[in-house]
Amino acid sequence: MAVRCRGERADLADAGVEALTTFAQLLVGGLLTGLVFALVAVGLTLVYGVMDVVNFAHGEFLMLAMYATLGLALLGLGPLLGLPLAVIAMFLFGIIVYRVFVRRLLAGPPEATVFGTFGLLVLMQGLAQAVFSSDFLSVPNPPFAGTIRFAGLAVSQASVVEGCGALILTALLFAFVEYTETGRAMRAVAEDRIAATLMGIDVQRINGLAFGIGAACVGAAGALLMLSYPVYPTAGVPFALTAFVVVALGGFGSISGALVAALLVGMLEVFGGFYLSPELKLVPVYLAYLVVVLVRPQGLLGRR
Amino acid sequence: MTAAAVPLLEVRGLVKRFGALRALDGVDLDVAAGTLTGLIGPNGAGKTTAFACIAGAERPSAGSIRFRDAEIGGMAAARVTRAGIGRTYQIVQTFADMTVLEATTTGALLHHPRLNDAVARAEEVLEFVGLADKRHRLGRALTIADKKRLEVARALATEPALLLLDEVMAGLTPAECGAAVELLRRILARGITILMVEHVMEVLMPIADHIVVIAAGKTIFRGSAAEAVRDAGVIEAYLGAPFADDAGAELGR
Amino acid sequence: MIALGAIVAAGLVTALGVRDAVALDLVFTLLLYAVLGQSWNWISGYAGNISFGHAIFFGCGAYASALMVTHGLSPWLAIPAGAVAAAALAIVTGFPTLALRGHYFSIATIAVAAIVDALVRTQPWLGRATGFELPIASGWAALQFADKGPYIVLALVLFAAVQIATIALERSRLGYYLRALRANHAAAAAVGIDERSWKLLAFAWSAVIASCAGVLYAQYTLFVDPPSTIALGVSIDIALIGVVGGIGTLWGPAVGALVYVVLAKGVALELGGTGKGYDLVIYGAIICVIAALRPHGIVGTIVDGLRRRRGALELGAAAATGGAA
Repeated sequence: MAVRCRGERADLADAGVEALTTFAQLLVGGLLTGLVFALVAVGLTLVYGVMDVVNFAHGEFLMLAMYATLGLALLGLGPLLGLPLAVIAMFLFGIIVYRVFVRRLLAGPPEATVFGTFGLLVLMQGLAQAVFSSDFLSVPNPPFAGTIRFAGLAVSQASVVEGCGALILTALLFAFVEYTETGRAMRAVAEDRIAATLMGIDVQRINGLAFGIGAACVGAAGALLMLSYPVYPTAGVPFALTAFVVVALGGFGSISGALVAALLVGMLEVFGGFYLSPELKLVPVYLAYLVVVLVRPQGLLGRR
Repeated sequence: MTAAAVPLLEVRGLVKRFGALRALDGVDLDVAAGTLTGLIGPNGAGKTTAFACIAGAERPSAGSIRFRDAEIGGMAAARVTRAGIGRTYQIVQTFADMTVLEATTTGALLHHPRLNDAVARAEEVLEFVGLADKRHRLGRALTIADKKRLEVARALATEPALLLLDEVMAGLTPAECGAAVELLRRILARGITILMVEHVMEVLMPIADHIVVIAAGKTIFRGSAAEAVRDAGVIEAYLGAPFADDAGAELGR
Repeated sequence: MIALGAIVAAGLVTALGVRDAVALDLVFTLLLYAVLGQSWNWISGYAGNISFGHAIFFGCGAYASALMVTHGLSPWLAIPAGAVAAAALAIVTGFPTLALRGHYFSIATIAVAAIVDALVRTQPWLGRATGFELPIASGWAALQFADKGPYIVLALVLFAAVQIATIALERSRLGYYLRALRANHAAAAAVGIDERSWKLLAFAWSAVIASCAGVLYAQYTLFVDPPSTIALGVSIDIALIGVVGGIGTLWGPAVGALVYVVLAKGVALELGGTGKGYDLVIYGAIICVIAALRPHGIVGTIVDGLRRRRGALELGAAAATGGAA
């Protein structure tokens, strides 16, 4: 009898440890996923904060970066070189897109930015399909392919690299916006465009820079994500959708809000995928969006 | 207190804070039905903020706003309009691509849901304010005086019991002012109560039944126009203490 | 109205006279897209809140049809059933978001569309990823015909009804209020317009119209599955038609549908239809150009031009007569 009791208690203990392990596993997975969402979302929220534009083509910028870094990787340039190159290229791309296109959208009626960036989405997806075809592509020998094990948990090396990379870059962006003069100028434009003009700030230049930085952020995210996700013309769509929700949850224009919201969304997605089903993993995320918008439209940390 | 004696609009202890700034620090005012009340005060006194709170454009931080004996403080602007308060804006808000008739009809639709009825009512209102001959002109093609007149027409079309006018005389020539005053008289004759914020004193004082003076976010005077110009507190608020003493001596004949 | 009459007449002639199946298919598609585009136009054009998930309302009707038929009920019941489902979805999407700034709503449409897509793909009773094949039947009771002619007549009826409804919209309280909300928010509040209620009404109607188109589509193709009815791609196509033709105009969607069908056919003929990329490139480029230079689309630009000339004339008249009367 005593033996059986001990056996039962041991079973319960095992079950408890297993549940805890699963929970911890999901938690870590959620955090790492969330960090990457943060990097994707942070560019979007910066652009919104500075010029009141939701770039509906944000996912396509991500997709472009993924293709670019994939190409660099196939040429033999590993991620260490590929990432900075992608970031610089996307930064320039963002500035060009702003100068040539987005600037004109801003001059029109408010719907113009919505369906203008939508048109960009369609154009970029079409170009990707035309040039690269709809095939799913990926790096033949992906770096960071191993698994790290600690404390009974298992995480892929790639996701750790992605998470850490995202965290570093988000922190860099935050520091830039908070502590540099250009960053301060951006915050000024975000708060009051007319007053900023009166202070001598060149709003067009700041807008272009913000758009470029936004593109650079999502470019970095694309370079990181390419490590573990396949690349195809509509690859950016799920990430973009999540980014929109993250930005709204965190508060349009708030970088810290985007980080907090991204971690929450990462958790929601990972837990949802486990407890509901992989196909339904985004449902709690979207439901959360509707609830937050209903209850607190300015998001968790937003101002407007 | 009989029903007739309850003021149409009663504001008590209205407070509005913007962060640490107390734009309104306890404003009281009453508007009796059928009268024209002027809301005046030096620049930055809080007149526009008080107006905005009453009209629903801003949410009061504290205090009560009662209209027709019901609390309306904190109600959204559209709902305040539906409750029976019409308003005009300090900076004219025109429907640029609508004709004068269309804009007024939009107002009339509030109480006349069928388009034909609304158009008929709008025509009446345009006749009343004197814009009937310009009914097919686009909003963007009007002079500033006509834009203001249209804004009044649009507000009247919603059949308000109380009309809030925000610096309606600003930017008008003396001739246009005279026409505006004449219109205000006709509005009053129809039984509509008016509360107006105004800076152009020589126009307001002769026609106001009642004056409320706000300074530094507080009501400092309530009474007739004649009493207002003699009140030491009012003079001090506008011109400073030295003048109050002098004026007191002057006016104390 | 004259234009509408002419189109209906032309359509009837086509339906009864033409025998070429491909041409008839084209006409049917054109009419269906015009209806879908107009439904999108009600919320995205007239109300000004751009919807990126409109396909789900189309799907409501299509799936309602499929469900009715596979459960032995009349497909005609799908019209009210789909309409109710569509209106409900519209209210869920719009209630939290229509009183806020535009992008909240647009994102919500994407979110709700994604939820619906995920649910349909996982629920067995909704057919999952494989969808439904409708059993072949014939006659008006079953809403199915061997010949394409009656389908086109029905599509014409639907198109005409929707155009007439849109004309009625422009001349209704809802139409005036939507116009006011787009023109000047502060002024709209000053005339007592409650933005959320009125936009919800427009959105619900918009959803119902799309659902009706869905019912007809299901009865025509006899096949309903997620990629053909509720996928993001379908929503994008609907939005494309609306934007290209002209947001907020009566004939914009019809023009947009025409451009879409012609381009799609043209691209398929020239480039062999491999990889949908090329037509997307063209559409995307057109939308970008329109957004940057002529945000009101083809029809809208014409209307704008007329308005501006009139405004200039009137300004001139006002100046000549010396201003205030």
